[in-house]
Amino acid sequence: MESPLNFFFDPILRAPTLGSMLMCLTASLVGVIVFLRKRSLLGESLSHASYPGVILGVVIAGYIGLSDQNEAVLSLLVLIGGFFSALLGLYSINFLENNLKIKADSALCVILSTFFGVGITLASFVQFNYTNLYRQVQSYLYGQAATMTDINVIIYGILTIFVIVTILLFLKEIQVLTFDRIFSKTIGIPIVVIDMIFFILIVLAVIIGIRSVGVVLMSAMFIAPASAARQYTNSFSKMFIIAGFFGLLCGFLGNYLSVEISQYLAHIYPNERVSIPTGPLIVLIASLVCFWSLLFAPRQGLLFRIVRIAKFKLQTLEENVLKTLWRRGEPLTLKDIQAYQNGNIFTMWWILNLLQKRKFIAKSSHTYYLTDIGKIVAAKIVRLHRLWEVYLANYLEIGVEKVHKSAEEMEHVLTPELEKELTAFLQDPVLDPHHQPIPAK
Amino acid sequence: MYSNPYNNTNFFEFFLQAFWRMIGFIKGDLSYNSLVSDEVQLIVLTLVSASTALVGCLLVLRKMTMLANSLSHTILIGIVVAFLITTRGSIESSHDANMTINLSAMIIASIATAFLTTFLTEFFVRILKLQEDASIGIVFTFLFALGIILVTTLTRNAHLGTEVVMGNVDALQLSDIFPIAMIFLLNGVIISLFYKEFLVSTFDPLFSSAIGISTSFFNYLLMFQVAITAIGAFRSVGVLMVLAFITVPPLTARIFTKHFSTMLLLSLMIGIGSSWIGVAFSRHILTIHDIALSTGGLVVCVMTVIFLLSIFTFLFRKPNFLNKFRMTPSDELLNG
Amino acid sequence: MSALQVSQLSVNYEKTPVLWDINFAIPQGKLVGIIGPNGAGKSTLMKAVIGLITPISGKVDFFTKSLKQMRNSIAYVPQRESVDWDFPVTILDLVVMGSYGSLPLFKRPGKQEYLKAENYLKKVGLFELKDRQISQLSGGQQQRAFIARALMQDAQIYFLDEPFAGIDHSSEKIIIDILKKLTKENKTIFVVHHDLNTVESYYEWVILLNMRLIGCGETKEVFTNKNLQSAYGKNFSLFDDAIKLSKKISTGLD
Repeated sequence: MESPLNFFFDPILRAPTLGSMLMCLTASLVGVIVFLRKRSLLGESLSHASYPGVILGVVIAGYIGLSDQNEAVLSLLVLIGGFFSALLGLYSINFLENNLKIKADSALCVILSTFFGVGITLASFVQFNYTNLYRQVQSYLYGQAATMTDINVIIYGILTIFVIVTILLFLKEIQVLTFDRIFSKTIGIPIVVIDMIFFILIVLAVIIGIRSVGVVLMSAMFIAPASAARQYTNSFSKMFIIAGFFGLLCGFLGNYLSVEISQYLAHIYPNERVSIPTGPLIVLIASLVCFWSLLFAPRQGLLFRIVRIAKFKLQTLEENVLKTLWRRGEPLTLKDIQAYQNGNIFTMWWILNLLQKRKFIAKSSHTYYLTDIGKIVAAKIVRLHRLWEVYLANYLEIGVEKVHKSAEEMEHVLTPELEKELTAFLQDPVLDPHHQPIPAK
Repeated sequence: MYSNPYNNTNFFEFFLQAFWRMIGFIKGDLSYNSLVSDEVQLIVLTLVSASTALVGCLLVLRKMTMLANSLSHTILIGIVVAFLITTRGSIESSHDANMTINLSAMIIASIATAFLTTFLTEFFVRILKLQEDASIGIVFTFLFALGIILVTTLTRNAHLGTEVVMGNVDALQLSDIFPIAMIFLLNGVIISLFYKEFLVSTFDPLFSSAIGISTSFFNYLLMFQVAITAIGAFRSVGVLMVLAFITVPPLTARIFTKHFSTMLLLSLMIGIGSSWIGVAFSRHILTIHDIALSTGGLVVCVMTVIFLLSIFTFLFRKPNFLNKFRMTPSDELLNG
Repeated sequence: MSALQVSQLSVNYEKTPVLWDINFAIPQGKLVGIIGPNGAGKSTLMKAVIGLITPISGKVDFFTKSLKQMRNSIAYVPQRESVDWDFPVTILDLVVMGSYGSLPLFKRPGKQEYLKAENYLKKVGLFELKDRQISQLSGGQQQRAFIARALMQDAQIYFLDEPFAGIDHSSEKIIIDILKKLTKENKTIFVVHHDLNTVESYYEWVILLNMRLIGCGETKEVFTNKNLQSAYGKNFSLFDDAIKLSKKISTGLD
């Protein structure tokens, strides 16, 4: 078992770890913009489009006689090749969509598959002509972080800094352009320039990333951290920070767990040489982080929404019981109360307990009655109910027989502000459509 | 020990040889078993491109190509699970990395993953309230990553991962023809039987529902077809390049015609033609330059070239060609 | 017996009421305009009546029969933007699609259907353009093609969603003439209409609604200032706010 800190210093482990973390950081930052533009599948298309360029870089390296050892030059050739290939892909997608009126999904899929096909053909060429470099070709398919060196890290580091600085410099332009394109035009934002910057950023993120997670899975790193981050904040700039943090986390965990789990498996199956590939593992972790955030993020997560809905339903049940007691004007037994509500006797008993704890009702012998505070709360509910009925019947001309059902629902929803508006609008009515008195404020 | 009559043929000799062999076949001099690998490749790729052309036209017109991309990725995990179940996989016994799983298991697996993918995507969109493009992306990359991890750890054959993606046309055998022929037949029958239903539900979904032709039923039917077509194709061209077979011939055909039926026919011809040219080219390069390139990749390259040529020819012959794709006249008037 | 009778129809969209307790009956042979402000539920009413949307309550009868029984006597013309006009079909193909509902499952349209389609193309003045690809038509021409497709269905009742939106004057004239002619043949026609200026000259009957029915009947009686105030007036903003709040709470987002 390695200590996590070792991953940053050990000469073998540090390059893959740092390299992956840098790459995930870049992808997640750019991914925020991609996500907000609702172009998440663009990353998918561009990563595949970079593949032929990557291979071409390898071909050139082979042609000028480089070997596996000239890591720096090789990396640069690959990066440059991938960069221009992806850029060409991007330009082609725009051309197909704007000039040939091909639908967005078709354009993305055409570029994705044709560029990739060309790449595969080139890869098979490399396989035969520059066999010693074939390993390079393979490693860009699903990523091969494990063979990264310090040189890679330095190159990626520089590119990452460039990306971060660019985003910081143009933060507000990107924000307004992403949010409201037409408005941006009217206030003089140089749309063409900002779009171009966005395109360059996404292509850079792609070529940095494909070494770690590979061409096929790259798009996940644009989508997952950004989607997760969205769950925790409504602020544009905070979203970058949270997404970046998630990116770094996934990059680290991917490497860490890949090593740990592989060692553990080697322990159990010493005869097999099992290892978990890092790239797919990073993607797996990122997807799980995203899934977790969608479920459990405070406020927006599914779990919290379900809890809030349940709380509201409980409140509704409580208020209905108070209403019943108020209307009947006399102490009632458990059974009497239950007759007026939907729900079984156990739920009723539990609700009555809760209301007792909140001192809205009190119990004497076998009956329940409203306390003074309880009377006030109940009167308020009835007031909202009847105000709403007046509104529907007199101003929206809904039939008098129909208003009750809606009021049953809305009485639990109306806030004090809405109540004030209603009272003013209806000029503080005294009777509801059923000629029953409306409790005063 | 037979010799392959296509050895050492160049591009044109390849076709000559194929022509003679076909005549021999019709005359009865050659039997099914005497088909050589080049011919097997031709037949399989012909059938694959025919299936994908048909299904692809509908997918392109229904704007469901990303869904097809998604399904062709997630099929990997279906294949892996089917493989594990049918070989009662444990790490030790997975030495047989040939992936020759029986066909019905694979078909069931692919349909199951199609449903799984759609269900998960809908779950992310409807219940977790994530935007649609992100949902599609997360679901298929997650399932694909899972599939890759399972493949590499449980079969420990690193090449398997690449083969699934790239296919291996050169490894095709006689026994591969039957399943893909059945799949093509099925696709052809479904589309010709339901021709007008597919047509109207693609063009005008609301009107279609109003006259009683359910748009969603035909969406599911199409998805089923994508699943089985992808399974048929993955051994030869791999899951990623099958997307090219699905999208490029239909888009090329669309340039030339304004009739849906012609579009289907043209895509078929373009797809099949590209396959033949690709196989011939592959043999040619092997003969002349002694390099064995990926045949699947070459076919995609041919399709791409044909697509580019189509765009350019029309661009220069008819200067107002692009107007065909521009907005309708009334929009132009409105926008001044 | 009414051509269309709607009782207590209520439609929700994600827990928000869009139509509330709609009741009306329309006699046969009328040209009816459905009017109301944006978001009033006019399109929704049409879609709910022909079964494209499921209401949470209510009953719809056509000549006292259900939708299922009368499906072949009803024609629906959706909004133009719901269709992809780059689709590879000619105008003639489009109109022929009108026969698809009555053809059995595996049967293709034949010479008879094509002749019929050409005939209707003549009626809407598009016969010369019959082999054009549909993207080459103007908005008005597209709408006329849609009308021809509807005519193919030989229906008793027609539903048209915003047919006059964004089309040229001559196309509009051609279409309204055809519709009026149809009513003389005792067909009943419903049109979602957005231009208040032409309501009185086009429609003998109107359905005025804004989530709930404000009025239904002869134009001269229903199309009054008082009713229009009711439909287009300000009483609604409070309701909208309250409904929005209710929706937020019920999906747990607050």
